[in-house]
Amino acid sequence: MDVAQALSELTELSSQVERAVVLDADGSVLGSTLDDGAAAERLAEAARELLAAASELRTSGDEVTRAEVELSEGAFFVLREGGRTIAATTGPKPTAGLVAYDLRTCLHGLGEAEKPKRKRTTRKAKEEAAD
Amino acid sequence: MRRLVRLVVLAALAVWAWRLLLARRELQERAGVSYADGSSLVLEPGTTGFERLAAVARSALRR
Repeated sequence: MDVAQALSELTELSSQVERAVVLDADGSVLGSTLDDGAAAERLAEAARELLAAASELRTSGDEVTRAEVELSEGAFFVLREGGRTIAATTGPKPTAGLVAYDLRTCLHGLGEAEKPKRKRTTRKAKEEAAD
Repeated sequence: MRRLVRLVVLAALAVWAWRLLLARRELQERAGVSYADGSSLVLEPGTTGFERLAAVARSALRR
């Protein structure tokens, strides 16, 4: 599944997600729900900042897999899995578990490689090949 | 005496309302971080960690 398709499914699935952006392992933007590229880059920058700030809370240096901040004006979620990161904003009082589940589902969708389609050979084609 | 009682009652009501408002706000705001080793942190308003993460989140919500 490509990034645009996964993000489209995310916004269809979750009524709470307002804006979302997907980042590659190196932090570059792979796709977003925003039409404005500069706005997507700013959201990505915030996601990178949040991960860095969350990482600094621990001296052990363990990788941050999820960071969420719920404020009275809205919430900001960042999830990291399989080298990819997804960040999303919601309105106030989101159902945090549900939003995180939807974001994780989106990341899993991206990780799924498209299965190669089997070519079905008909008996006639086999006979022709044998001849 | 009656004035004093009225003043005390008003002050108590004001303190109660303020605390209720503050408690509601605090309930709405929180931050959570999960790490690869399975551990997690919950940060409450007023802590340094929360304020740092909240500042980043506010900037993301404004953008």
